[in-house]
Amino acid sequence: MRTPTRWITSPLLAASLLLSACGAVVTPQSPATQAQVATVAPEATQPPASEPTTAPEPAEEITLNWLILEFWNPDQTIAAYQAEHPNVTIQAEKVGFADLFQQNQIRLGAGDGSPDIVSVDAPLVASYGARGWLYPLDDAFTTEDKQAWVSGALEAGSFDGQLLAAPQHTSTQLLYYNKGLLEAAGITPPGEDERWTWEQVAAAAKELAHDDVYGFSWEQTTATYQLLPLAQSLGGEAIGADGFTVEGVINSPEWIEAFTFYGNAFNADGYAPKGDTPVADQFKAGQLAMFVGGAWNNLVFSWGPPEFEWGVSRMPYFEGGEIVTPTGSWHFGVNARSAHAEEAAAFVRWLSAGEGAALWWGADSYDMPAQTAIIDTFDTLPAFDAPPLAFMRVAAEEAQVNPVPRPVTVGYLEYEQLLNAAFADIRNGVDPAEALNTAAQRITEEMAKYQR
Amino acid sequence: MITKRENWIPYTFLAPALLTLLAFRLWPIVIGLSESLYSVSFVNAGARIFVGFENYLRLLTDRVFLQSLQVSLLFNLIVNPLQVLLALGLAFLVNQRVPGVGAFRSLYLIPIAISINVSALIWKLMLDENGLLNGLIRTWGGSPIAFLTSTEWALGSIIGIASWIGVPFWTLFLLAGLQGISPQIYEAAAIDGASGASRLRFITLPLLRRSIGFVLIADTISNFLLFTPVLLLTEGGPQLSTNLVMFEAYRRGLVYGDFGMSAAMVSLQLILIVSIVLAQFYLFRER
Repeated sequence: MRTPTRWITSPLLAASLLLSACGAVVTPQSPATQAQVATVAPEATQPPASEPTTAPEPAEEITLNWLILEFWNPDQTIAAYQAEHPNVTIQAEKVGFADLFQQNQIRLGAGDGSPDIVSVDAPLVASYGARGWLYPLDDAFTTEDKQAWVSGALEAGSFDGQLLAAPQHTSTQLLYYNKGLLEAAGITPPGEDERWTWEQVAAAAKELAHDDVYGFSWEQTTATYQLLPLAQSLGGEAIGADGFTVEGVINSPEWIEAFTFYGNAFNADGYAPKGDTPVADQFKAGQLAMFVGGAWNNLVFSWGPPEFEWGVSRMPYFEGGEIVTPTGSWHFGVNARSAHAEEAAAFVRWLSAGEGAALWWGADSYDMPAQTAIIDTFDTLPAFDAPPLAFMRVAAEEAQVNPVPRPVTVGYLEYEQLLNAAFADIRNGVDPAEALNTAAQRITEEMAKYQR
Repeated sequence: MITKRENWIPYTFLAPALLTLLAFRLWPIVIGLSESLYSVSFVNAGARIFVGFENYLRLLTDRVFLQSLQVSLLFNLIVNPLQVLLALGLAFLVNQRVPGVGAFRSLYLIPIAISINVSALIWKLMLDENGLLNGLIRTWGGSPIAFLTSTEWALGSIIGIASWIGVPFWTLFLLAGLQGISPQIYEAAAIDGASGASRLRFITLPLLRRSIGFVLIADTISNFLLFTPVLLLTEGGPQLSTNLVMFEAYRRGLVYGDFGMSAAMVSLQLILIVSIVLAQFYLFRER
């Protein structure tokens, strides 16, 4: 699970203002921040020159309901947009991480028009699209807008040739390690540009694990997002070319090998913790020597750092295998049943490709931005010169090393849920081949409904 | 006395309750039944289509549903007799006039006073690999037990937690029944020389018949509808070993968005519950 966070720091606010510096709206800021903006602003990318074809200004007052995660803090973004659009009121409705998926499913499924703007996890775009839940955004975005995002993000937000959900975040994973624990065990930590193999990780983890300390774990311990690259590194595919077939794919020899490695970590080798304590917390408490986790941990640790020296390295891969990194994160879409779909689309455009993007990233975000212009500012901002924010530069680089999106399938939700359950079973000691065979069978059964 | 002209009066007084029942019990059942006859066509941009009994036919060959039905039946076969017996035992216990029983009567009611979500989460922490129970087991030199993550233990753990919450609640009803039995009957039996065992068999149990019947029926219904501990503790796993029908219906409907199949599952379970409850009514009928 991603860690709830909220942060407003002046260097990051400056980053956030880089884009908006060129725009009309600048929210009140301290003189220091303004000075920083002035010095770095010339490097900022120009906002799109052409305006989208439809950006209607409502004649009367309207309210847009925006369904978001509880740990996002949209106040500043909303205030800025409302100042520019006096007739628009934006109301954020916050729900928990797991609840958000369900709220989308139930409310969009029931044809409820009340969330005008919804948060969409990238791989679910096809699923929502096939159900006709999302309003096409192509008219609201210019061609330049669509080039503002990191590679692959536009495709991830599109279904059937239409842009259905605009990218807001992207993500990548790093290997985090506790320097003291590694050195005490006589292990030289991997460098920021070094990439360990999984074999190296396992060997080190076995050395590191003793009484109260575990060697290694995955942050989202049973999540498809984080675990797919294991199989992909060995050459396994995520799904068949038709977007439905999993039999012979997710129970292929490559998958079984990858998840035997995963299962051994918790069972035969026992260097990974089985309990429910959040992995990043265990790391912070000094009870876990290494973990692979989201780049967001750099931000989280910058607000409440661990009380020991720590560092990051790259996402591991299997020896002789391919380097694969996970990617994709939150997009924003417009409910097809919204009474104010055009106005909502205009807001989403402002947020994802306009001035709002920087505001959101600076004040409200917790993860990698999907806008290349904002990522580019990592290189120049002084605050990013020292760790832990310097590790965001490592993350920005890592995000470009063979990122493989989660599979595009209308049945992604079932695919993910059933795979997560299989991973949990393997972690609990079930034979990997058996667990993956069961998952293949169950996913096949669930996929059948999409083909009739 | 109510004259013929006034016989609408009781209905007026009953109307609020009946209307509420209609709106919040019967109407949702009607919606559920009708929803179970529809499906979503994904090749047709998510259009809602009438499919008749197709969802039900599909359920008959749905491995996961059939397994969840099996789990639900096994769960109820164990949990209901267990809870009624424990509740009966606890009722006898708290009905004793011994020193300190007042304090005990308050203590054993605590599980009822705690919200089911909170108690499920507390149990989750206690049963965790690194939780209190496994800590104790380790201290005593045992190896930790995967209470919620092994197929051998998970359903048992859910039964235990459900009973921890359920038993004190049902005890209340049985205690009320026990205290409703006139002491004079016991005195008369004692004068006639009846032993403790025969007083239990020939006086207490027969006179508690209605209370036990009520508790068994209400308990069966509530356990078939049990959901929260499964959602919070095991999510139906490991390997579907705690996947009760209610949880599978929740997953199909609210997680996968397949409302038709979900409604069909719940409707089938409704028929099952009604049949079981009718059988229980028959067993506990006045003879």
